[in-house]
Amino acid sequence: MSLRNRELVFLIPALVVTTLGFALVYTQKSAELTLTSLTYGALFLALFVIAHLGVRLLASRADCYLLPITALLSTMGLVVLYRLNEDLALKQAMWLVAGLAVFLLVLAFVRNLNMLYKYRYVIGGLGLLLLLLTAVLGREVHGARLWVNLGPIGFQPGELAKVFLMVFFAAYLVDMREVLTVSTRRVLGVPLPPFRYLAPLLIIWGLSLALMIFVKDLGASLLFFGALLALLYVATGRFFYVLVGLALFAIGAIALYFLFPHVQLRVDIWLDPWADPSNRGYQIVQSLFALAEGGLFGRGLGGGYLFLPSGRTIIPHLETDFVFSAIGEELGLVGAVGIILLYLIFTYRGFRVAVSTKDDFSRLLATGLTSIFALQAFLIIGGVIKLIPLTGITLPFVSYGGSSILANFILLALLLRASAKAREV
Amino acid sequence: MDKPIRRLFWFFVILFVALLLQLTYVQVFDASDLKAKPTNTRAVEQEMKVERGVIVSVDGVELAVNREEGQYYLREYPQSGLTSPWLGYNSLRYGRAGIERVYNEELSGKSGLLGITGYWDELMGKTHRGADLKLTVNAALQKVAAEALGERKGAVIALDPRTGAVLAMVSYPRYDPNGLIDSSVMGAVWSEINSDPDTPLLNRAVQGRYPPGSVFKIIVAAAALETGVVTPDSHFVDTGSVTAGGFVVGNFGDSVYGEHDFTKAFASSINTTFAKVGVDLGADVLAEYAAGFGFGKDSPWPLGGSTSIFPDAGSMDKAHIAQASYGQGRVLASPLQIALSVAAVANQGRIMKPYVVAQVLDYHKKVLNETDPRVWLQPISSGTADTLRDLMVEAVANGTGTRAALSDVQVAGKTGTAEVADGGPHAWFAGFAPAKDPQVVVAVLVENAGTGGSVAAPIARQVISAALGL
Repeated sequence: MSLRNRELVFLIPALVVTTLGFALVYTQKSAELTLTSLTYGALFLALFVIAHLGVRLLASRADCYLLPITALLSTMGLVVLYRLNEDLALKQAMWLVAGLAVFLLVLAFVRNLNMLYKYRYVIGGLGLLLLLLTAVLGREVHGARLWVNLGPIGFQPGELAKVFLMVFFAAYLVDMREVLTVSTRRVLGVPLPPFRYLAPLLIIWGLSLALMIFVKDLGASLLFFGALLALLYVATGRFFYVLVGLALFAIGAIALYFLFPHVQLRVDIWLDPWADPSNRGYQIVQSLFALAEGGLFGRGLGGGYLFLPSGRTIIPHLETDFVFSAIGEELGLVGAVGIILLYLIFTYRGFRVAVSTKDDFSRLLATGLTSIFALQAFLIIGGVIKLIPLTGITLPFVSYGGSSILANFILLALLLRASAKAREV
Repeated sequence: MDKPIRRLFWFFVILFVALLLQLTYVQVFDASDLKAKPTNTRAVEQEMKVERGVIVSVDGVELAVNREEGQYYLREYPQSGLTSPWLGYNSLRYGRAGIERVYNEELSGKSGLLGITGYWDELMGKTHRGADLKLTVNAALQKVAAEALGERKGAVIALDPRTGAVLAMVSYPRYDPNGLIDSSVMGAVWSEINSDPDTPLLNRAVQGRYPPGSVFKIIVAAAALETGVVTPDSHFVDTGSVTAGGFVVGNFGDSVYGEHDFTKAFASSINTTFAKVGVDLGADVLAEYAAGFGFGKDSPWPLGGSTSIFPDAGSMDKAHIAQASYGQGRVLASPLQIALSVAAVANQGRIMKPYVVAQVLDYHKKVLNETDPRVWLQPISSGTADTLRDLMVEAVANGTGTRAALSDVQVAGKTGTAEVADGGPHAWFAGFAPAKDPQVVVAVLVENAGTGGSVAAPIARQVISAALGL
């Protein structure tokens, strides 16, 4: 079977999930089954078939698993959102349309990744500008300044900035690669490049800290740092950078812990949410309760106890940061593991793309994009299941949020472009 | 450059495996602990969304119903405190007690009983209804018993000796369970009933333990008759006191009875004679019969209760044996234990296991489960039971229990006046009627109230009369 036909076949599970999911939620909400679920199913089919045709036309040799996985994830997200809040689901559906449009636009206009390399400083500048925009114009919501108002639409520039900056850093590391791997002296037997070549590491570190200090976005800060460290390691092949990076991370983390009550609180809650389960630890405690309630097979879509009598969700930010808890409660361990495995497969395919590429820039870009995607999934899932301290970021493609959807579709388009390029003869 | 990418991938695999492990731990291994956390109100709130089963008495009076409030069903107890000590409560904040707790699986529809009728609804995610309970308790009789006891601390039990079905069970003081449902007052009500020195939450009928006094003579007489140590005609002489192991036993009110037979000793509750009989029987035989009647055994009450105590035979000297023979010393019994002991006499030597829920019904009134009467213990032969019945008839006809007598029906019974360290004696009466065709056993205990004959017997009389529809 050709790549694209295989992609088409793999879209079928996602179609089934949408139709069945909406049908289930719908029967939960009102006793009789109407055409709504089928409408959503048809809408979904149309959308992703268009996307598929776009890929067929614009990047016919691209990886055939990434789009179906994206489709499954965004569909699951949409079904869960529909169950939580119909209005949000409708908005999310519109964001998905916009996301797919952007996806096709990127595929159409970025025919060659070298184009991005050429404009690396423009793109990097744009990324920084977006971050600055957030720091200056952003309004603070729940202790973090992430939102910028664009007319009626709230927007999180940080989400887009993360893709732009990744492009810039991949390009920058291609330039720096040579010098970074040349060791001129050894300190205690460790090959050490000239100090000035450590600059990129320090820049990343500084940027992450700045992000944390000015935007108070712990999640994005961790994300940048982790993904860029991964990129540096792949670019140089030097484990030494990872060690220095981790040391810098430790210093930064400890400093942040003592300087920012907001960070300290997060860590303290993580260490012992039971110290104050109805107040400070409430969110994570309720998330654990939801997961425990779900057990192995879950309570079924619509069967979870997600709303208080007042109509508010029992876990604050259920639609965004904590959407994974809702999935864990309603679809059980089975469903939650399914989601994690989808992210793992996406990550695997992403790195496969990276390995298959023929030039350094594509390779680093694919690695960086995949890393940032995988790390984001890990950070938020790990946060809501209390594996690591909670950082408020979205679950890629699943959480409600327009900026996140757009950014991740750009990320997907770039990965597919890298993949298609690699297979060209 | 490929090697670092592969390593990076494996690094992410490790991270994701950590996620899977932690997730499995939370959702499977730690789940039951998380569900049991006191801050986890999910289970209770979830159950508040289920239309809980209704609890009705055997005569069709609703004891527990539901009131819809938003998406929740809140409990309402139309009879307020009448049955609270054992019916219990179902409160969002304070959990459950009594039947509401023990039969929660059925009432909340979680039980497998509803599997057949509720499966489709469950599949469709519709909140199912809980099962209804039909009790053995007769609300009218319960009211009569509650009024007869009035505002005196104590307990009244009426049960059918042929089946073990409890017809009425009163404990005073009580509380109004509706106070634990209404969120505006529940906090105050809860702390009030918990700090009340008169312990309204305690079901005195099954959880209270009291020295049984002379009602324990039923068990001593049973042992003596069954082992052949005495017959109803055995001859005794009372001089007003007898010394056992250095301890002087006297009669109530310092009475002196002179020459008498065992029937008279039972009817007039002569302590000296019972002390002699008890010492003759010995601690081992007394302990054996006490155990046979249920002392030292887990309470057979389906909602849980106290174990009645007869001291360890090896630890008893003659003085202790003499005291135990008229229900003093270290003998302690719940009113239910006394009622069941009498039930053995009324039911040819067999004690039926007491029960309060007759039927579990689904919302189509289809019977899902029915309690079948079962024998709990058989301490004595039916012959001994018949002989004891005659002694008890005599006690009501011509002995201490005359105030329990009814004009149309022959009542059998035994009074008790148990001396306690502080306050007046506890008044006891335990009996059944009609003597030749027992339909109801009644046990009455009133704390620190006086003699059994003057205080407890009249209460029993009213309850027996109402139970027999007189």
